[in-house]
Amino acid sequence: MVVGEIAEQKDVVVIGGGPGGYHAAIEAAQKGFTVTLIEKEKLGGVCLHDGCIPSKVFTTAARKKEEILRFHAFGIDHGEVTFQLSKLQQHKRKVIEQLQKGVEALCKTNKIEIVHGNASFLSADRIGVDNGHQFDVFHFNHAIVATGSTPIHRSGVSFDDEKVVHDGSIFLLSEIPEHLVVYGSHSIAIEVAMSYRQFGSMVTLIMADDKNTLPYDTTITRELLRQFKKQQIKVYTGVKEFRVNKEASHITAMFQHKGEQDTLDCTHVYVASDYVPNVKELGLSRLGIQQGSNGYIAVDAHMRTSLPSIYAIGDVTEGPRLAVKAIKQAEVVAATIAGEPSEFDPTFIPEVIHSIPPIATVGKTEQQAVEEQFDVKIGHFSYGANGYATIQGKKDGFIKLVINQNNDVVLGFHAIGEGAVELVSTGTLALEMAARVEDLTFPHYPHPAFSEALSGMEFSAVKGKVRLI
Amino acid sequence: MEVKLHDIGEGMTEAEIVHYFVQPGDAVVVDQPLVEVQTDKMTAELPAPANGTIEDVLVKVGETIKVGTTVLSMITTSQPTSAVSEEKESTIEQQWQAKTFRIEKRKQPILASPYTRKMAREQGVNIEEIKGTGPAGRIVDEDVYAYVQKEKESLLQENSPTQQVMKQEKEIHIIPFKGRRKQIAKKMKQSLHTIAHCSHFEEVDVTNVLQWKEQSKQAGKNVSLTAYFVKAVSLALKDYPIFNATLNEEKEQIEVQTSHHIGLATNTEEGVIVPVLKHVEHKSLLTIQAEMRALTEKALHHTLSREEITGGSFTISNVGPLQGSIGATPIIHHPQTGIMAFHKTKKRPAVVEDEIVIRSMMNVSMTFDHRVADGATAVQFTNRLVELIEHPNLLTLELV
Repeated sequence: MVVGEIAEQKDVVVIGGGPGGYHAAIEAAQKGFTVTLIEKEKLGGVCLHDGCIPSKVFTTAARKKEEILRFHAFGIDHGEVTFQLSKLQQHKRKVIEQLQKGVEALCKTNKIEIVHGNASFLSADRIGVDNGHQFDVFHFNHAIVATGSTPIHRSGVSFDDEKVVHDGSIFLLSEIPEHLVVYGSHSIAIEVAMSYRQFGSMVTLIMADDKNTLPYDTTITRELLRQFKKQQIKVYTGVKEFRVNKEASHITAMFQHKGEQDTLDCTHVYVASDYVPNVKELGLSRLGIQQGSNGYIAVDAHMRTSLPSIYAIGDVTEGPRLAVKAIKQAEVVAATIAGEPSEFDPTFIPEVIHSIPPIATVGKTEQQAVEEQFDVKIGHFSYGANGYATIQGKKDGFIKLVINQNNDVVLGFHAIGEGAVELVSTGTLALEMAARVEDLTFPHYPHPAFSEALSGMEFSAVKGKVRLI
Repeated sequence: MEVKLHDIGEGMTEAEIVHYFVQPGDAVVVDQPLVEVQTDKMTAELPAPANGTIEDVLVKVGETIKVGTTVLSMITTSQPTSAVSEEKESTIEQQWQAKTFRIEKRKQPILASPYTRKMAREQGVNIEEIKGTGPAGRIVDEDVYAYVQKEKESLLQENSPTQQVMKQEKEIHIIPFKGRRKQIAKKMKQSLHTIAHCSHFEEVDVTNVLQWKEQSKQAGKNVSLTAYFVKAVSLALKDYPIFNATLNEEKEQIEVQTSHHIGLATNTEEGVIVPVLKHVEHKSLLTIQAEMRALTEKALHHTLSREEITGGSFTISNVGPLQGSIGATPIIHHPQTGIMAFHKTKKRPAVVEDEIVIRSMMNVSMTFDHRVADGATAVQFTNRLVELIEHPNLLTLELV
């Protein structure tokens, strides 16, 4: 180990340049702090380089491809539709590059100093940054840990980044798989399955989750499963002991389904990754910072850790692994450091899946509300009765409200269908305002529009037990 | 583990060993300085990279070594904490698990809008303790106000004589951190966060100006020294207008103001307040004196209007009459550029024309925003002010 130091004094040091880190840096800079951001790779984090952004480039392409087949009904005819994955990859790289430049420019505008290297705490007010040939030591007044999380790839599967891929390589494929097996049940797995299906692959989706343990409202799950069927994606749920066997170019997925051993020959396998917080290199235990299960840094609603000078935000803290959480926590941490009253409240974080059609949900599902002993009322509106959905040829989908029957307060908002991703903001606002049903149904909605669904709801009471699929 | 000399920066290639803080056999904890080294540019300490025991010192004091050379070796220990502290930690962990460092989704939604929740937060109130009076138990703004009011009243009651006797046992006296105190805290913090404060000090011979004051008094015109200082500051600002400026970072410009609106830091029971004397540059000493007195009265009786406490372009704080300090580092009244404190006057031996004589001396402390101006200009400004105070006759040259 090589050490030696002239410690530079810094005001706010942010470790990690993902959406949490760079937002925190900018927020703090705008509050008048001088900010140093330490990043070991590229600004933008997993979100920009491996997660949200690449996956959305793919889902957007898939949706466009699906749409073009409907053009005929509108009198638009075109020649044979072809799809080149290499061009999409090119576009993806361009989008990432543009966004990364945007982040860099924002940091520059806000006079944020960027330091490259691996950071580790030396004490409660000093941090070392190692970049191979140099080791710098900074004194800080406040440090914000925003180091994010790292995918851990399923053990026992020999990934090759070409045929057998994980989260880090699924959006890097250079050829469209002939038969893609997707193992996983969370948003990225669903997006991958539907995107590659649109690109022309045969897709089989394998989930360890049972239909009723998927994290969605059961009505949403039911519609989602119907969509898979419609798009000819074969789905296996409640699967055990998933394994991949690779011999030369011959790939087989093996698993137990309904007590029997199943085998699938395929050309490609994507196994969705689990994630662990990036805490190992930080030297946290040396400082005695409290950590929760799996190493997540324990924080309070003001993003303070158990050490007064150190804060943590984003994937490195417990909760959904979403940029929306990290960005909000970035606002909160900057305010906390500036001494302004502020808090992070995770109750109503919207979650979206850019599937076909998209899914967007916020708040309690029907089954959660029932389990938590609420007297539940359900509001439902199907897109089939929505004029704009008919015009658009997007009649699949619905909006569902979960309501506390005793005081009419809305507890959850669940949508699957065109426009769901934008509509969920109305639901989130309603939940944050503690709106009652009338507050949502009374306003005028433009006509024709998907949002009209909110004013035409039908309501029914749930008789005290969880409805299963 | 080997502890090596590392490139400390500025392209150093070698360093001389100056001093060892440890010797073989010493137990060291992480970050403890082990050795002092000297390069051609600086002196630095190499800290222990981990907990452990020093095994051997490999380079002699006085030797010059290249970067990368191993200086000493140590045996690291992996478990620094004793069993006792571990036990302590686990209790702390249990407490923490149970209480503080957890963020959870609320099972029952709070029946209040984000705006109302923010109000409660700013008042330091846990909204979950408030009972809503709105429809279906919704917590509305009035509920938050009512709760805060009730808290205040119960605090007052607790401070009643009988309650106080009981409270003495607790040996803690609660002062609500609200109202003006909180405002002051907010302003001070904002100022310290954004402004690059730089202070300097100067001494002023006020013998002449005291004589001048006495003469004026005999002539039936009572003018305080503060009024004189206000006028002198205004005249100095005319020559160095940069200290009468506001930095507008968004527009990337320094906005120099031509009017001299001088803030007068005034002490009241509730805390400091800064009434502003407008357009000092157009006012005579007598007008300044009269208006200043009126503002101070209003400050003490809480009758200052919003107009009268905003729009200042420079602030002075005359702490001399309090018979206190000889120097201070005043915090600038954001977004102004300068603030000056006038300290107590004391008779002291001074050298005038190579003779030791008794003079009345006073110190001034000047803080300026180093983002806007530099030290040299600030010193010139202070010198000009000192000149105007030491030679009251100079003021006649500035008559309009």
